[in-house]
Amino acid sequence: MSHTFGAYAFAVGRKYGLAGATGLKTRLAYLGNYAGSILTYGLFVFVFSRIWTAVFESKAGATGFIAGYDRATAIWYFIVAEISVFGFGRFFWRLAEDVKSGQVSYLLGRPYSFVGFHYAEAMGPALVDALIFLAEGYLLGTLLAGPPAHFGPGRAAALILSLLLAGSLQFFLQLALAMTAFWIEENAAFFWIFQKLALIVGTLLPIEFLPARAQAAAACTPFPSLSYAPARIAVAAGIPEGLRLVSVQVAWLLGAVVLCEAVYRLARKNLSVNGG
Amino acid sequence: MHIIEAKGLKKTFRTKVKPEGFLAGLRSLSLPQFRQVEAVKGVSFQVEEGEIVAFLGPNGAGKSTTIKMLTGILAPSSGSASVLGLDPQSDRTRLAMQIGAVFGQRSQLWFHLPPADSFRLLGAIYEIEPGALKRRQAELVERFGIGPYMDVPVRKLSLGERIRCEIAGALIHSPRVLFLDEPTIGLDVIAKREVRALLEEAARTDGATVFLTSHDIGDIEKVCKRALIIHHGEVVVDESMKDLKHRALARKFIGVKYAEPVRFELPGIVPTKTKLEGGANADGPAGAFTQASYVVDTRRHRIPALISALAEQGEILDLTVEDEPLENIIASIFAARTGAEACDAARPAAESVGGGA
Repeated sequence: MSHTFGAYAFAVGRKYGLAGATGLKTRLAYLGNYAGSILTYGLFVFVFSRIWTAVFESKAGATGFIAGYDRATAIWYFIVAEISVFGFGRFFWRLAEDVKSGQVSYLLGRPYSFVGFHYAEAMGPALVDALIFLAEGYLLGTLLAGPPAHFGPGRAAALILSLLLAGSLQFFLQLALAMTAFWIEENAAFFWIFQKLALIVGTLLPIEFLPARAQAAAACTPFPSLSYAPARIAVAAGIPEGLRLVSVQVAWLLGAVVLCEAVYRLARKNLSVNGG
Repeated sequence: MHIIEAKGLKKTFRTKVKPEGFLAGLRSLSLPQFRQVEAVKGVSFQVEEGEIVAFLGPNGAGKSTTIKMLTGILAPSSGSASVLGLDPQSDRTRLAMQIGAVFGQRSQLWFHLPPADSFRLLGAIYEIEPGALKRRQAELVERFGIGPYMDVPVRKLSLGERIRCEIAGALIHSPRVLFLDEPTIGLDVIAKREVRALLEEAARTDGATVFLTSHDIGDIEKVCKRALIIHHGEVVVDESMKDLKHRALARKFIGVKYAEPVRFELPGIVPTKTKLEGGANADGPAGAFTQASYVVDTRRHRIPALISALAEQGEILDLTVEDEPLENIIASIFAARTGAEACDAARPAAESVGGGA
């Protein structure tokens, strides 16, 4: 047991660090999963690059722009936006299953922050996934749309920060949804709605492509912070816009953390464990 | 100070009633109906340091729910619990550092990884320094004989091998109290025997207080010194294993099967059932049988002597000696208890009628 602050910090860092490493090791146990995800992501990017090519050829006119995006920018936008979905889009299932199966008995009885430990365990493999898709996306994007324009070290750093925030926000929103399994046995429908909204609001299309009212409505939700913010930072945002996007992401992330803790506390009070 | 103390511990769940039929199902969507289920109805008991206590009862008796309240996983609906002087709800994290738990139907090991990885992570979770963790792990690996499984993914281990690793994992932080919820469930006879021996040794070596739930009478006979029996959410028996054995485990069920029909009587024991294989056409004297079942009071008869007597009657093909099923024991204890309560309730009424006459 730890007695000094240094020893305590080391013990806590080791606890959550090893949780992330264990999550990653579990993910690496099935390398076949990577092949499937890499193939699917590549296919999505290829199909959407064809769709955007057709759209820009028929609708962009002489300027070559739609809502401020040209063909190459739209393809790069999609490549980055999908990283949030492929890298951070599957936390819900494992968490909901743990609650439904009663496995939560072990998870709740350990000396750690339930939310914090799961964050570390989920983000370890998710960050590696995101890095893989980032590399694949870079390769495919360069082949399909040419090298990204105006992409220097500053923008790369901002993109990584924004992706980290997007991934964390994805985790906390999905955990809050997954924890509804403490009350409702079949909660997959919530996640299905969440996924579809996240796809429509900022993943498949940049938000600028939506009608004005939909844009205004989207701005009141956390969905633009999931995919739109990192994608916009990667392809178009200047420093003021980038700062605003990251600030909004931080605000939503704080809100989601508070929401998760609140749901967790409520869930613990109402917990009944399946199978006794 | 009691190591574990439960005072009127109660847990009530609200479950949704799912009516039969399509229309009733639709109606329940808009007007859902709920039913209160009293899983634990106010149990009270104390456990002292170093005790090995069996917490017994049939399925659905409330054993697991009680353990989950004592480990801080479930909040009681009313009543209070204290483990190592801590409130399992408000001091959950501090308590978790000092207790271990094994839930036989679940796994605390990471399913796709070898136990060695799980032990490393569990060590980190319990904030054990790396050097101390290494020493403790080596000690447990040797004691539990799990060396060959340490680098095999848990999903590839047999249930018996996994349970040994589970118990070793639960002991990694040298807990002062070990809660075991059906640790031998689903195991074959040999694996059960091994697990019981390991539990006994773990309790002896580590000096931990053990609180074990089971509906397997063998678990408690071999491991525990005291038994608490819970039925329908209430503690119906709290006594030493010695007394319980004397009172309730005094009966053995013996079954014997002979190669040829035999005819004999054992002094003082009447078979509960006999069978002549081949029926009326079978070759043998009147009243002969090839199979017989006996219920033996072990306070009056010695089992080895009885088996010798049976063996003298003919060539035995099969012989079984079984304990009375726990369900029967509990049912008889509970029936006696409710019968006594009914008598107590009836007596004043009868007395008052008599008094008025």
